[in-house]
Amino acid sequence: MGDDYPTLFRSEQMSLMQFLIPTEVAHDTVAELGELGNVQFKDLNPAVNPFQRSFVGEIRRTEEMARRVRFFESQIQKDKDVVPIRPLYDSAPLVTVGPSAAHNIDGLDVTLAGHETRLGQMNDSYKTLSERTRELVEARHVLRETAVFFEKAETQQTDIRTSFDDSSAPLLQHDDREQQYLSSVQFDLEFVAGTIDRTRISTFERVLWRVLRGNLYMNHTDITEPFVDPATGTETRKNVFIIFAHGDALLAKIRKVAESMGATLYPIDANADKRSDSLREVTARLEDLETVLYNTGLNRRSELLRIGENLARWQDVVRKEKAIYETMNLFNYDVRRKTLVAEGWVPTRDFAMIHMALRHATEESGTSVVPILQELHTSKTPPTFTRTNKFSEGFQTIMDAYGIATYQEVNPGLFAIVTFPFLFAVMFGDIGHGLIIFFAALYMIIQEKKWARQELNEIVGQFFYGRYIILLMGMFSVFTGLMYNDIFSKSLHIWHSGWDFPEPASNGVSYAVSNGHMYPFGVDPAWHGADNGLVFTNSYKMKMSIVLGVIHMTFALCLQLPNHIKFKRPLDIYANFIPQMIFLQSIFGYLVVCILYKWSIDWSTRDTQPPSLLNMLIAMILSPGNVDATAQLYRGQGFIQVVLLLLAVVCVPWMLCMKPYFQWKEMQMIQGQGYVGLGHRNGGPRESTDEVLENEEEGNGRAIVEEMEEEHEQHDFSEVVIHQIIHTIEFCLGCISHTASYLRLWALSLAHAQLSEVLWSMTIEKFLGLSGIFGTIALVMVVVFWFSATVFILCLMEGLSAFLHALRLHWVEANSKHYQGEGYLFMPLSFAKLDEKE
Amino acid sequence: MASIIPVIFILVIVLGLMACGYLFVPKGLHQTTIRTAIMLTLASCYLMWMVTYMAQLHPLISES
Repeated sequence: MGDDYPTLFRSEQMSLMQFLIPTEVAHDTVAELGELGNVQFKDLNPAVNPFQRSFVGEIRRTEEMARRVRFFESQIQKDKDVVPIRPLYDSAPLVTVGPSAAHNIDGLDVTLAGHETRLGQMNDSYKTLSERTRELVEARHVLRETAVFFEKAETQQTDIRTSFDDSSAPLLQHDDREQQYLSSVQFDLEFVAGTIDRTRISTFERVLWRVLRGNLYMNHTDITEPFVDPATGTETRKNVFIIFAHGDALLAKIRKVAESMGATLYPIDANADKRSDSLREVTARLEDLETVLYNTGLNRRSELLRIGENLARWQDVVRKEKAIYETMNLFNYDVRRKTLVAEGWVPTRDFAMIHMALRHATEESGTSVVPILQELHTSKTPPTFTRTNKFSEGFQTIMDAYGIATYQEVNPGLFAIVTFPFLFAVMFGDIGHGLIIFFAALYMIIQEKKWARQELNEIVGQFFYGRYIILLMGMFSVFTGLMYNDIFSKSLHIWHSGWDFPEPASNGVSYAVSNGHMYPFGVDPAWHGADNGLVFTNSYKMKMSIVLGVIHMTFALCLQLPNHIKFKRPLDIYANFIPQMIFLQSIFGYLVVCILYKWSIDWSTRDTQPPSLLNMLIAMILSPGNVDATAQLYRGQGFIQVVLLLLAVVCVPWMLCMKPYFQWKEMQMIQGQGYVGLGHRNGGPRESTDEVLENEEEGNGRAIVEEMEEEHEQHDFSEVVIHQIIHTIEFCLGCISHTASYLRLWALSLAHAQLSEVLWSMTIEKFLGLSGIFGTIALVMVVVFWFSATVFILCLMEGLSAFLHALRLHWVEANSKHYQGEGYLFMPLSFAKLDEKE
Repeated sequence: MASIIPVIFILVIVLGLMACGYLFVPKGLHQTTIRTAIMLTLASCYLMWMVTYMAQLHPLISES
């Protein structure tokens, strides 16, 4: 395997690079590296408080700009009519590197501040004007309703008037005098008018009644239209009330009660003419306000439209600037040489690319000092970087979800490209359903470019992310559908069937006779619809699950080998890999061989009965060596089984003891050399200490940082033993439980086939025989129902279920055989990824 | 007549195809991926076909 090209087999080789960047070029260099997206910078100031770092001022400024941009975004979203935001790829570029960069950023700052103040002012005035409008509308209502009250009040003057007289005096006696008092009476009865919330009106009435001891006359009506609060959109319903009472003290009390209950009072004149004047005035002012409001709205909208043109670009610039300054905060400032020192993980392969990027950055900025790049040697574990493209990204992600691969260990994602869709398909096998999901994935892939730019719904986005996985799942499902001979629960009759059905016997049951043909590709269609079809299919699928499962586990186990070879752990090969392989094969490999052997024998020509393999396996373990002669699979079976069992039993202590023993011997050796090595070891650091001292004089703080992070690898022997015990038990028990776990391949494919059959027989089958117009219409409707149930229940629901189970098989059964998964992900400074993060 | 010969025959063909896949995929960025995909696909499809074929070679029960 050539080292020229990156592969998915292992993660990339990474090296720790040190950058010496002159301060003038720093911003542009980091911008260039961010565009490249290949460097993961280390934090060289871990002990420094974030508020004390060097570039806090710039970050604060960008934060302020970001806040303004967010404010604009929220304003645009709140606007009822859609304000178009020009997408990023269509926006005018803003140059942020090079000599004009600082000027541009300053300009941007000023522009943003200007927009913000203008928008803020417009929002404030809009709010104030809306409130004034509301008050005026209320006043208008009050004026209108009180007119009605006054008319009513005049007719009831007589009743009110008599209450002030002696109760004994007859009504009619003062009739002639009443007309005189009419005008004066009106001024005696003063009133308070206003509006109050409808919910409070009854409380208001009761309180007033109690406070004034009934010396009041109150009337109220509903205002039919509710008032909508522009800020929150809530509606409130109000009533107009008018209270007639006599005397200043009472009126004062009424006013106080009204204010405490949250009513708004309006000055209403008793004179009808003055009231109509007020009404006209109010109406005029309302019209003015409406015009002003309308204009303000228009201005605001035009401002928002202007903002919308550039918003995407501003967001992008602000985000990038913030990322650049945050990264620059991770650097170490070398006072002597006036440079910034940065350390970062870089894929070794990309060294030349980074060099070019640095050179390009210096050219852009116009200075002539190129940043220096040197490689550092370190014992720290590099991050895991797997170079994926849009096809392998999905598969890598689902395997990474279990755990990130240790640096440079074999990547299960590579094999999952085929094994995952294959195991899915074994559980999903149906040509029709496979075609449905295949075409769905194909559609998504064809629309790739368009959909990638849009902001997709979360669920649709998930499906889109896995479109290549779904494509392969569909393809393999068509294959397994051909194998199971199942298309929408019917079977295809492509070749000659191997069975002939004679005339049914007297009890209606007919037994098929084999005619010597072999259906060459898949399950014979004669089994479809047969009464004992399930018996055959179950046996077939169960055994297939075991065969596939053992082979998958063996494959996963073999993936340990490249890891042991690469990391130079020969002990692991002899102490872990070999006993594990022998254990697995001697019991379950043997089972698979027996399955295949039993199938390959023509039992009609043998004297012995075909034995039940399950019982055979159980008997092998429980009573080894005793094989019933009438139920044996082959001659010499008893002896061979004993040998295999012994092999398996021997493997257990082998796994338990060999590795701890050798590691113990190694530790003894090291400790024995330890007293010699102490002086030896001191020689090493002493040399570097000189270097450190020398470098310290020049202000290079690099080596100090490295020494402080020396890793002490003192293995406690008990830890090793415990680890190995756990590992052994996990493997041995796991072998059995995982093999059984593969039976889910059978279970899910059975469920799928049955569901599909039930759906067909319960819907379309019942409607096929109908004739006539009614029959045809009903058939069409049922077909539509059948198809939607197929897509939603069988494809989506069963598909998700099979996806999950196939994933579990990969994560638990396969990965536990070889995967360490202790790495950490390579997270470079990448402007492209910043976009994804949001 | 149903016999085991087709299984071995197809096995040889599939092994030959796998060898072709290994040898003839051009060197490039995706060589490992394509090779692995081709070989694994051939292997797993053959396995499934073989199991299906052998299960029906000498059936122990017949349909009713």
